[in-house]
Amino acid sequence: MTETIHRRRIEVLADEPLIPAIIRLAAEAGITHYTLLPTLGGAGAHGRWRDDQLSGATAKVMLLAVTSADHAAAFIDRLAPLLESHHLMLLSGDVEVVRGGKFD
Amino acid sequence: MAIDALFQPVVLFFLLGALAAFARSDLAVPEAVAKFISLYLMMSIGLRGGGEVAETGFTHDMLLAGGAGLGLSFLLPLPAFALLRGFAGLDRTNAAAVAAHYGSVSVVTFATGSEIFRHAGMAPAGYMVAVVALMETPAIITGLLLARAQGGDTLASRGGLFHETFLNGSVILLIGSFLIGLVAGKEGLAPIAPVFDVPFRGMLCIFLLDMGLIAARRLMDRRALTVRTVALALLLPAVNGTLGVVLGVELGLDAGSAAALGILAGSASYIAVPAVMRLALPAADPGLYLGMSLAVTFPFNLTLGISYYGWLAAHLWPLIRG
Repeated sequence: MTETIHRRRIEVLADEPLIPAIIRLAAEAGITHYTLLPTLGGAGAHGRWRDDQLSGATAKVMLLAVTSADHAAAFIDRLAPLLESHHLMLLSGDVEVVRGGKFD
Repeated sequence: MAIDALFQPVVLFFLLGALAAFARSDLAVPEAVAKFISLYLMMSIGLRGGGEVAETGFTHDMLLAGGAGLGLSFLLPLPAFALLRGFAGLDRTNAAAVAAHYGSVSVVTFATGSEIFRHAGMAPAGYMVAVVALMETPAIITGLLLARAQGGDTLASRGGLFHETFLNGSVILLIGSFLIGLVAGKEGLAPIAPVFDVPFRGMLCIFLLDMGLIAARRLMDRRALTVRTVALALLLPAVNGTLGVVLGVELGLDAGSAAALGILAGSASYIAVPAVMRLALPAADPGLYLGMSLAVTFPFNLTLGISYYGWLAAHLWPLIRG
């Protein structure tokens, strides 16, 4: 049976203009590998939102990263104070990966 | 001279989009198509303006219009900020973010108004395109100063803010296309006129159909607007637009250019400024500033404002300059 290794999965949903800065925070926390996913729309505390390619101000992008527990904790520490003011959504969970070296 | 903007196809397509959205139709213009048309419109406006200035040369009127535009963009956010704080009861951050939108410009409102004025024999001078590009940014600076944005409460680095403010796509495309039109001249632009000149109105119709859908859906989706903010979203363009027209006529611009200056003063940004505000003032509610500029002011300008600015310029010009 193939051995798997424990890692942390981090997902951050943010307005598109904020993504470059969030990527910078991730890099400061040691996370340099990630995937950006576009979104179609949703609803939250401030009402419904849709994909917005016109102004880009309210288009939301999901940043997905799988990394070590230490890097994940460092990233969460940097993002936590900004969740409310920057309207971010942060999810963190456990995953199992096969090639642990790819997800440091 | 009556300018019946309401009966022009470009405005009627906007109304069609709005009605479809209110009726909860599934009508949609693909996002990439709308983005493409947005780029096309800016390139066409820039090329046309540059080509016209290549014919007329740099004139005293052009310098006056540029100076007026810069001044309006820097200063219009100030009374807007005071009204948003005092009358609408907004906090400092939201008032500053909204005020910045009303000092900046809507390129699409300018494009639509220019087409309508051209149709009515009152085409604005080519250099007004350069004024559009000049007026995009100063209001952002004023807005940030009003908010007293500190480095600590934003994710954005100073470099990132500078980049977004001065090097955003709209400014680059407008100024770049204007310079290309200037260098190429009317002769150089003739071979590409079938792409950038002839289809312009039709493309504008499709774009405004999408704008109608977006504006109406934003009005239905968001809860950030109040009666007072809606009132200001109607009052600010009317007052600012009047100021722009009067200033243009007083400076001696032709009636079409004075009307265009009124459009620029009375319009509010919903492309360049929202992205900067999202980065620089993350605590400001985008539902509020986009709701006001896109869902209220833009439809007002399209249906009533453009006609009013044109009528005012046409009637004021002979009184003051005649």
